[in-house]
Amino acid sequence: MKAVFISFNQALREDIILVFDELGIKGFSFWEETQGRGSHTGESHFGNHAWPTLNSSILTMVDADKVDTLLDLLHGLDKRNELLGLRAFVWNIEKSI
Amino acid sequence: MSIYATAVKKPITTLLCFVAVIVFGLYSLSKLSIDLLPDFESNQLMIMTPYPGANASDVETNVTRLMEDGLNTVDDLKELSSKSMENFSVITLEYEWGTDLDVAVNDVRDKLDMYRSQLPDGAGQPTIFRFSTNMIPVVILSVESKESLPALYKILDDRVANALNRINGVGSVSISGAPQRIVEVNLDPKKLEAYNLSIEQIGQIISSENMNLPGGRLDIGSDTYSLRVQGEFIESDEIKDIIVLANQDRAVKLSDIAEVKDTSRDKIEESYTNGIQGASIVILKQSGANTVEIADKVKAALPEIQKNLPPDVKISILMDTSDSIKNSIAGLTSTVFYAFLFVVLVVIFFLGRWRATFIIVLTIPVSLVASFVYLLASDNTLNVITLSSLSIAIGMVVDDAIVVLENITSHIERGSPPKQAAIYGTNEVGVAVIATTLTVAAVFFPLTLVTGMAGLMFKPLGWMVTIIICFSTIAALTLTPMLCSQLLKQDPGRSKMFMILYGPIEKILDWLDNFYERTLRLVLRRRLITITGAVLLFIISLVMGKSLATEFFPPSDNAQMSGVLKLETGTRVEITKETAKRIAELWKEKYPEIEALNYTLGTADDDNIFAVVMQDNGDHIINLNARFSSMGKRDRSIFQLTDSMRADLAQFPELKTIELNPGGRKGGGMGIPTVDVEIYGYDFDRTNAFAQDLKRRVEQNVQGAADVLISREDFKPEYQVVFDRKKLAIQGIPHSTAAQYVRNRINGLTASKFREDGDEYDIVVRYGKKHRESIEDIENIIVYNSQGKGVKVKEIADVKEVMSPPSIERKNRERFVTLSISAPSTPLSEVVAGVNSELKQMDIPADFGIKVGGSFEDQQESFADLGVLLLMVILLVYIVMASQFESFSAPFIIMLSLPFALTGVILSLFITNTPLGITAAIGAIMLVGIVVKNGIVLVDFINLNRERGDETFKAVISGGKSRLRPVLMTTATTLLGMIPMAVMPTEGSEMWRPMAIVIIGGLAFSTMLTLLVVPVVYTFFSQRDEKKKARKAAAEIALLESLKSK
Repeated sequence: MKAVFISFNQALREDIILVFDELGIKGFSFWEETQGRGSHTGESHFGNHAWPTLNSSILTMVDADKVDTLLDLLHGLDKRNELLGLRAFVWNIEKSI
Repeated sequence: MSIYATAVKKPITTLLCFVAVIVFGLYSLSKLSIDLLPDFESNQLMIMTPYPGANASDVETNVTRLMEDGLNTVDDLKELSSKSMENFSVITLEYEWGTDLDVAVNDVRDKLDMYRSQLPDGAGQPTIFRFSTNMIPVVILSVESKESLPALYKILDDRVANALNRINGVGSVSISGAPQRIVEVNLDPKKLEAYNLSIEQIGQIISSENMNLPGGRLDIGSDTYSLRVQGEFIESDEIKDIIVLANQDRAVKLSDIAEVKDTSRDKIEESYTNGIQGASIVILKQSGANTVEIADKVKAALPEIQKNLPPDVKISILMDTSDSIKNSIAGLTSTVFYAFLFVVLVVIFFLGRWRATFIIVLTIPVSLVASFVYLLASDNTLNVITLSSLSIAIGMVVDDAIVVLENITSHIERGSPPKQAAIYGTNEVGVAVIATTLTVAAVFFPLTLVTGMAGLMFKPLGWMVTIIICFSTIAALTLTPMLCSQLLKQDPGRSKMFMILYGPIEKILDWLDNFYERTLRLVLRRRLITITGAVLLFIISLVMGKSLATEFFPPSDNAQMSGVLKLETGTRVEITKETAKRIAELWKEKYPEIEALNYTLGTADDDNIFAVVMQDNGDHIINLNARFSSMGKRDRSIFQLTDSMRADLAQFPELKTIELNPGGRKGGGMGIPTVDVEIYGYDFDRTNAFAQDLKRRVEQNVQGAADVLISREDFKPEYQVVFDRKKLAIQGIPHSTAAQYVRNRINGLTASKFREDGDEYDIVVRYGKKHRESIEDIENIIVYNSQGKGVKVKEIADVKEVMSPPSIERKNRERFVTLSISAPSTPLSEVVAGVNSELKQMDIPADFGIKVGGSFEDQQESFADLGVLLLMVILLVYIVMASQFESFSAPFIIMLSLPFALTGVILSLFITNTPLGITAAIGAIMLVGIVVKNGIVLVDFINLNRERGDETFKAVISGGKSRLRPVLMTTATTLLGMIPMAVMPTEGSEMWRPMAIVIIGGLAFSTMLTLLVVPVVYTFFSQRDEKKKARKAAAEIALLESLKSK
């Protein structure tokens, strides 16, 4: 099991859910509004007057074999429109109930 | 979920909601009635009290002054004026605007009841009159007739008035100018004396002969019959055979001592149309009825009515209010249509995309149609004001949609799918859109609070625009994003054809962007010079503004003219008739523009209270009404025509006063503006002399003064019979009896009524005409005492000739005389300045009061109101902006565009040579809301760039460049939307032209300067802020470092 944290422009939400469904990923936690700022090229997403866009975040636990496919698809999604912005981070799950 | 997200996610619901609004709107439109102006309630009450037989001074002392004292204390009274004339006292109460007249009428009635008992015995019941737009005639018909003239009144009453009255919505039909039938019994005083009879006895006999009496019931056998004694005359000839005196051997018939004539009244008001005598029929509508509909029905009914009339009686239409309504409405409809077309062109020019243009333009019909629902719900009509509101609003309703669509498009171009782009794009600008709408509403909503004459016009305008703008914002936040999500594509391909057409436009727009950037860089390098230049420009324009002429309402060409011509008081009616005929013939020949010329002359019937009060009439007075061909069909305006006609009248030296009013009405805001100089003083002779002197001076020295009229008429000669009370007492005759004797012989005694075909006609007994033509005839009148002993008037009274004023006018309980100066072609402010300089050269006696008023006074009051309104509007707009930016300084920077708007206003008025009137002033107030929109868009975006980390100058330049197109686009839609109003020559367009000119000038000028000056001032404020911020950050870091080292 791996944990995947995805932070992305709100506009991409439906595409991500589509990817999840495609891969049979059923469970996830979703934060509708997250604020953030990219480390390198990313714009700020603060939902305020100057930076009106907002991010959403998803934390999902997936089987290790699905992680690569998921990241590839997400990367594709990001490539399709780099201005919107999408980042994903993966780490191990030690234990779960 | 936010409203726009819902709208985008539920496109069908959204679409159908708007379809529903449009359906309701169109339904309301079909139910709306059409009228010229909104219904309004006047702020005046009129109280008329008859006091028969009293002259002006008697009426003033015994009735008017008494009632004035009582009425002076009613609530909310603004001004109390009165006119005392022979037989009548008329008091006019002018209330503060907005007073509930229903309450006021009750209040007045209470006061009248209180003072009722103190009025003299002869005075009649006071009547209270209220005015409203319903009193404006819908149609005036003129009737020409030759052989049928003597019977005309009855013919018209039976066959025309009755038929017209049956039309739904017709309020009243009144006939004037037709001779009315009367049965005259003209007695010979010598014969009366010989038989020892008096007029009173004859009257008594006629009255008792002419009577039907029920005789009771009679049972005969098994039936009951009612019994009647029939005595009424069937033929008027029967009156001749009445036996007035029967001795043993012979009887004296009435025809032996009198001439009995079945004839028409000798003193009547005669009416001529196009030179042929006839009558006129005035048709008024019921309150709330549709003028156009009634006029159409009347016109449709006329051919049928005409068929039933004798061949020599011809009915034609003299005046039809619905004509000018239809013309105005048609004109305005095309104005709205052109405005719509221009706005569409602007949008397609800037966007270059059909679908985007469609989305934006769709908000126009949706918002406009929604306002019809409001009109129907609030019981309004489709009139000049409400239609003009549409044409004012049309350029503004697209603004919000433009801003929203622009932002959504930029999101799509960055790669968002249309649906998401629609939601987030709307979200970003939603607040700004609402804020700009609020600033516009902050301007138009206070207009609904304007009172007075101006309120009549601007209240509906304020409501209409506020509602339309609010609805356009709702559409921009729901319909626009929904349509964007459905119609816009991520990468719209552009066809070759399109590139050929649109390519050059795009190049122009790009060049404009770059040009603006270069200019902006330049002014930012020369900031002080820029600001000094702008301030100088502003000051220069203010200096120019000082010499700007002012006016109240711009006079408008409605193809009508009215006038009053007076000959020397006491002129016989035949001479007046001759003069009128010559004038009419001259004009008819000289001016082919005249379609109908109607004039009335002569004395109106005593019981026609309305004629007595509403219009001057007398044997020496000619009342004129002319209708010209409609505006497109003639070269000369009614003002030029009237001026030329006035010049013609100089050939008629017998005319003492000349008053011609282009437009038909005088004063009251809409017609020809007048400057009234009121001269207060008790002494008639001295005030008259002063007024004459001033009149002479004004006519000689004041430019543009057309008609100068003195309100007080010339004294007219009258004979007074002064009874010696001692002698009366010796003879045992009460004073009132003696007076009644004189009255019955000269004026006549209405003995009874002659009835025929359901109508009744007066039977009047008096001396024959040749027995009442000299003082001797009065002196020889025999008065009988209770013992039946006769005594001649000359033995108990003096008959002397005196001069008396025909009427006495008072205002605020003081006698005054008005010098009213009409100036159709010169602004009032110049006339007032001229009058004031004349007054300065004159010696004004200490007990005189002088006041300059009239339309000028209304104008001053309205301008003062508008000044307050302007301040209120500026404050409201500031509040809206300050709360949007959460800053005190940002709105201040934006409001710098206001002085330049003022500069633009003054320049545009100057160039087009338009005086500053109420509509222009309202236009200037509207500008406050319109011009700050540009500033908001600009400063908002520069702020955004700075928050995103740009330093000031870069933020200003890139922000300015990127906002140039939206600013130009919204400005251009508003400007071009106004252009049809400014240039199209339709009926009634004179009123709105100044407003359109002011908005175009002010907005164009302020936009140009806003784009340069606002960024410059912004940098000053921003640099200060930046320094403050840098110091604060440095202090913070220093503090932290010092804590760490501890």
